[in-house]
Amino acid sequence: MNGTTPETRRPDGATLVAAAILAAIAIVIWRDAARLPQAGGYAGVGPADVPRWIAIGLGGLALWSLVEAFRSGKTGREPQNVGPILWIIGGLAAQLALLTTAGFSIATGLLFAATAHAFGKRNLVLTVPVGIVFALVVYLIFAGLLKLSLPAGPLEGLIWGLFRGTPA
Amino acid sequence: MTTFDFLLQGLSVALDPMILMYALIGVTLGTAVGVLPGIGPALTVALLLPVTYGLDPAGSLIMFAGIYYGGMYGGSTTSILLNTPGESASIVTALEGNKMARAGRGGPALATAAIGSFIAGLGATLLLAFVAPTVVKLALVFGPRDYFALMVLAFVTVSSAFGESARKGLISLFVGLALALVGIDQLTGQARLSFGVPQLLDGIEVTTLAVAMFAVGEALFVAARRDTVDDEVIAVKRSVWMTARDWARSWKPWLRGTAIGFPIGAMPAGGADIATFLSYAAEKRMSMHPEEFGNGAIEGVAGPEAANNASAAGTLVPLLTLGLPTTATAAIMLAGFQQFGLQPGPLLFATNPQLVWGLIASLLIANLMLLVLNLPLIGLWVRLLTIPRPWLYAGILVFATLGTIGANPSPVELSMLLIFGVMGYAMRLYGYPIAPVVVGLILGPMAEQQLRRALSISQGDLWTLVGSPVSATLLGLSAIALIVPLILRARGKGAVLNQLASDED
Amino acid sequence: MKRTLFAGLIAAALAVPAHAENYTIIAPAAPGGGWDQTARTMQEALQGEGISDTVQVQNVPGAGGTVGLAQFVASAQGKADQLIVGGYVMVGAILTNASPVSLADVTPIARLTGEYEAIVVPAASDIQDIGQLVEMLKADPGAVSWAGGSAGGADHIAVGLIAKAAGVDPTKINYIAYSGGGEALAAILGSQVTAGISSLGEFKAQADAGTLRILAVSSDERIEGVDAPTLKEAGLDVSLQNWRMVAAAPGLTDEQKAAIGADIDAMVKSKTWQDALATKGWADTYLAGDEFQAQLEQDIAATDTVLRDIGLVK
Repeated sequence: MNGTTPETRRPDGATLVAAAILAAIAIVIWRDAARLPQAGGYAGVGPADVPRWIAIGLGGLALWSLVEAFRSGKTGREPQNVGPILWIIGGLAAQLALLTTAGFSIATGLLFAATAHAFGKRNLVLTVPVGIVFALVVYLIFAGLLKLSLPAGPLEGLIWGLFRGTPA
Repeated sequence: MTTFDFLLQGLSVALDPMILMYALIGVTLGTAVGVLPGIGPALTVALLLPVTYGLDPAGSLIMFAGIYYGGMYGGSTTSILLNTPGESASIVTALEGNKMARAGRGGPALATAAIGSFIAGLGATLLLAFVAPTVVKLALVFGPRDYFALMVLAFVTVSSAFGESARKGLISLFVGLALALVGIDQLTGQARLSFGVPQLLDGIEVTTLAVAMFAVGEALFVAARRDTVDDEVIAVKRSVWMTARDWARSWKPWLRGTAIGFPIGAMPAGGADIATFLSYAAEKRMSMHPEEFGNGAIEGVAGPEAANNASAAGTLVPLLTLGLPTTATAAIMLAGFQQFGLQPGPLLFATNPQLVWGLIASLLIANLMLLVLNLPLIGLWVRLLTIPRPWLYAGILVFATLGTIGANPSPVELSMLLIFGVMGYAMRLYGYPIAPVVVGLILGPMAEQQLRRALSISQGDLWTLVGSPVSATLLGLSAIALIVPLILRARGKGAVLNQLASDED
Repeated sequence: MKRTLFAGLIAAALAVPAHAENYTIIAPAAPGGGWDQTARTMQEALQGEGISDTVQVQNVPGAGGTVGLAQFVASAQGKADQLIVGGYVMVGAILTNASPVSLADVTPIARLTGEYEAIVVPAASDIQDIGQLVEMLKADPGAVSWAGGSAGGADHIAVGLIAKAAGVDPTKINYIAYSGGGEALAAILGSQVTAGISSLGEFKAQADAGTLRILAVSSDERIEGVDAPTLKEAGLDVSLQNWRMVAAAPGLTDEQKAAIGADIDAMVKSKTWQDALATKGWADTYLAGDEFQAQLEQDIAATDTVLRDIGLVK
């Protein structure tokens, strides 16, 4: 996807990390499989067999990556901006943390504002209210009309209360 | 009355202006909800089914058909324009379709998807009307060993879609297979890789993974490169419409997609996703321009989109003739029938012909309505890309999380969305393809279960795997597809291979 | 037209009279499934009959309902407006998943509907009656492959019970689990397996059309319109109902329990509910209070034994 060109003969760090991750997954799967009762029944192939085959495959790919890392050498990559990534991840984490307490609209409105910030709209005083109103409209359409169960918080309670004349 | 008379009668019922109005509302609602990432046809139908409750049977049925086809079609729009497929059947569409959109050819991509869906829907619905009883007999011949052989063929052929590096493609596939292990083993009820977290017992939801890796991963990737790439939006370059060349390259994939999608959709353990994988692989092999695949080949949109819709009609074969709901969408459709006190099954064609033919006629009308609605809208849809990026991506993430929260509002599910989103970003960054992860997650458990079922029925006899003509043929084809390129490559005759690929058409 | 429709929708969503308990019903499954439909039918009946003003359905899917149950136990303690839908499948799932919460942690209110299991073979099969199938099972358990629903579910339990009643080692049964009735039915119709087992409703249409032969049903009495003996008649002491129920929160006072029981009783007797049962083809097996409690305990004990016998629970 992005241009990768060999520069030096030092091992490629990313490929080394990939090899390590694959090896770790293989070990986790193998150990989990060892815990399972080998009840193959009439099939002869039980719940632990296919995980073992996949673990072996992953192990093989880890070795291949290790060899590849040293053979191809270090490759250059485009510089990445860490800031925007952290904003989006932070937005998703905030939504996750606030969803049940603050309700769908507020939590999702924060995600909206954080994403907009990551893409250059940095004025939170504008984007947070816009996000909350947008999420509230989405909430009213999906929870109100389509009966999708979305977590409600104080804001949703207030809106329902306005419609009904009594707080829900 | 003959089949044809029934169909004409059904069509005459469906041509009532009121009924047409219901069809239009159904298609509009279905498309509008289906367009959202993370909300596939099954959830669309489930959400909108209550809307049909208050109507009379004819109106309800047509609206329902409209919602179903609208939901099926809606998914392709976001796949193409935003690279965020909301369901497994439109993942392949995103591969080529989004590349086309990025090159300013979003209009033709949407058009070939819409027209292909229409042609496939038309063809498959007619097939449903005339050959359903025969097709269903053939579909029942497929036992576990035959399905296993089909999965092997799918694995082998789909691997051609893995991009340039075999190592990276295989790594992605095996990560998908590893993720597929999570949850309760279907056949023995043992929990695997769930680490005591109850929410993991049902495994990893395909839509969660797809939305995370495509929508969230894409958002992160684009955000991180924002300053290095020019921010110019390429909504439309050249015409919104398909050129003569586009037509010439699209019509064969549409027909092939229909031919692949319908029978696979009709198989009780088939499914639209496998049909799209096979169609994509077939188009890549048969294309005159294999080098364009991965860079926006129109065949790669036309074929899978046709296969996707044909398989949706195919799903109705076991549902109407046997009462077998073989997909989540079909299971919800069954609930739709039951609101009329109707039990789909072998007697349905005999006892309620009006309703069955009314439904088939409704599907034809809904299909046409979808085309009428969507072709003029393409110009509008491409404008979606002109929304400033901060608002566009913020909106995408809101809808992506909405789909996940609506289906399963658990913190574990949302955490997975976040983790797989970061994983999708990292994989994009280091050039690992995304699609094989999802392919592994879908095909892995199917292949494992069918293998173990087949062996259990034969009480452990391995020969059973080649014991039926169907399985032997499919495995033979897989072996050829796997071994021949290896031999050719080993002899250093890559040129021969390319020649072969282009001669096959 | 569009406007009237939307106006109607909005009215339906927002129009609400005043008074009485506003229930929230947890459906511990994804939208569209059996428990979800039960919860939504309850919602319709409770609201439609004016028993409750607003009823909300919340889906908490996962692991045979145990995820939803765990959340319910944790969050609903002492709240009289919280209900959860569940069923026999949950009994098995709690045991096989070693769930930290069980049905003893909630307040069961009533059994609402139920389905009986049916044992079938394809019409072309040589097997004519249940006796013949049992003989084959005794001769070579491995040679009889059974297609049914998920491992440890009602279908699997029923096969285990049949094997036990026939004096066959339950660990030796060759049970092929499928994800749903539809896929299993296809395998049965295609003669991929020896026999099939699932809820009667899954097979009824095929049996009426003559493509499947029902060998036996798992009810206590013969079922009207089904030409098959009960398992008990066939000399196998097995009776099993795959039921759905509604339960309330833990830690309720007796008055609160009685009030909820009265609301559910009114709902079950209402026309909306009865009509819904008829169109959906659900059998009314309403059982409330102490009788239900006793039946539930009996089911839990029997399921525990058979799951241990099959080897699914250690």
